[in-house]
Amino acid sequence: MDITKISNEDLIILNLKSKNKLDAIKEMADLLNKNDKLWDKNTYIEAVLKREEEYSTGIGMGVAIPHGKSSAVKEAALVIAKSENGIDFSSMDGELANLIFLIAVPEHANDLHLKILSELSRQLMHEEMRNSLISAKKPSEIIEVLKKGGK
Amino acid sequence: MKVVAITSCSTGIAHTYMAAEALQMAAKEMQIDIKVETQGSIGAENVLTQEDIREAKAVIIAANTGINKDRFVGKHLVEVGVDEGIKNPKGLIERALKTDYIYQDSNVSKNNKESKTAKIGPYRHLMAGVSYMIPFVVAGGILIAIAFAVGGIHAADNKGSLAAAFMTIGSGTAFALMLPILSGFIAFSIADRPGLVPGMVGGMLASSIGAGFLGALITGFLSGYIILTLKKYIKLPKGLDGLMPVLILPLLSSIIVGLTVIFVIGKPFSAINNGMSAWLNSLTGINSILLGIILGSMMAVDMAGPIGKAAYFFGVASLTTLKAGQTSVVMAAVMATGMVPPLAMALATIIAKNKFTIEEREAGKTAWVLGLSFITEGAIPFAAADPLRVLPSAVLGSAVTGALSMMFKCGLAVPHGGIFVLPIPNAVSNLLGYIIAIAVGTFVGAVCISLLKKKVQ
Repeated sequence: MDITKISNEDLIILNLKSKNKLDAIKEMADLLNKNDKLWDKNTYIEAVLKREEEYSTGIGMGVAIPHGKSSAVKEAALVIAKSENGIDFSSMDGELANLIFLIAVPEHANDLHLKILSELSRQLMHEEMRNSLISAKKPSEIIEVLKKGGK
Repeated sequence: MKVVAITSCSTGIAHTYMAAEALQMAAKEMQIDIKVETQGSIGAENVLTQEDIREAKAVIIAANTGINKDRFVGKHLVEVGVDEGIKNPKGLIERALKTDYIYQDSNVSKNNKESKTAKIGPYRHLMAGVSYMIPFVVAGGILIAIAFAVGGIHAADNKGSLAAAFMTIGSGTAFALMLPILSGFIAFSIADRPGLVPGMVGGMLASSIGAGFLGALITGFLSGYIILTLKKYIKLPKGLDGLMPVLILPLLSSIIVGLTVIFVIGKPFSAINNGMSAWLNSLTGINSILLGIILGSMMAVDMAGPIGKAAYFFGVASLTTLKAGQTSVVMAAVMATGMVPPLAMALATIIAKNKFTIEEREAGKTAWVLGLSFITEGAIPFAAADPLRVLPSAVLGSAVTGALSMMFKCGLAVPHGGIFVLPIPNAVSNLLGYIIAIAVGTFVGAVCISLLKKKVQ
């Protein structure tokens, strides 16, 4: 899938400094903001947190996929972060998340971007994909793995 | 086998597709055909066609948003949150294939709709347990009937014989598993795998203390909800949480359920049994027709539970004072009224076909055999699924039979055997009257339950 439409090496954090869910989301949203993907960082973060309250985005298997859909988002984007120690996302299986995808989607998102995101979500259900991402050492590797995945 | 599904979550970006992927992966593993329509931000994709829906055995809705279900009227349906689809797609597919719930027209009044959803929870668990139990009752019961047919009513006594073997397989084993299975799978439906241990243990205990199927229903629900409660309030440190399903949950729940059965359920149930026996023995000079009604009601009200057993042993005891050539009117009433509940259910599944599920109709066919063999347990699947309607109907039918049996002065000289003893010379007094009594009660019970029950679809 053409992940480069919504992400790139600048939007990858190899080792998250944050220790908890809230800080992690803030740290990653910061990166989105620096890369000019947001109109308003705080409004966006609010949307993400609101979504977190509805039900857990820790889908288990070490992956979390927090996301926010908001008019505060300029263009669809994806931040990928790895956390060595793991972060508690209240996962369905009780595990900490080592691989976190923070998604930002504008209110009226481009169909192509949505398609990429839906493909990404599907890919994450497969163990080989998760393993490849976890073992990737460089941002370029992560992009490569994601590019290869999908039809 | 084909299944269709719809997934949808509120934001429509991630969970919608993850659930769809998970369901597709699980279905592939189970070698089941599945088509999943996703309703995400992008809109509906992979939309289900009329034909897809028509061909599907069941519909799964894994959604956190309202889904228009008009397309699915008349289909078996399971509706859960989208994370169920991600967490446990295999279980969800299995549940959908087993469910009895059929989606009715949404143009039903608000009240009806609410009560239907309220009924769904516990009722669904009950039906799950019953559907697992039915084959045990069928197989066990028929084996018992065969044992009687091959070896006569004292089949079990002839150790080493084929008849005794059938009796051991049927009564000793298949039947003995009936209540643990009922209880275990009710608990499984509520709490998934961890429910099996306390459910089965509780059911077996309920059986051994003579609490009958009502006891097993109690242990099933108790076990399921205890597991859910334990899961909610016990949080272990990270490294130890593997111990939850293997050690903590089974151990704690079994202790709680087991002790409850022994101390809380056991005492009242055996008190009921003893009380009933004592009361029966104290009845002197009672009008025989009234006694027939009482015995009939007791045999039917708990389907071989503590009350029925008390009546049964009262009947057997009456045989010990018989002289050669005599018969007991009490034993006759007891056996006849014990045959009526399953026979009445069997008849009902024929005259009111559309008020019973497919599984119940199948169970009805075997209920004929079981009823004729004086295996009252043949009615348990029906009673467990719908006790408030089945039990009164069964009691009514059996009461009528009991009264008629006494009125015609029918007598019986043997403790068991159903239809197989009728041809034995001198075993039955007033054979014709006896058959009429059983037939009339069966008819009354069948009509009663048929009138009370609502259509299934």
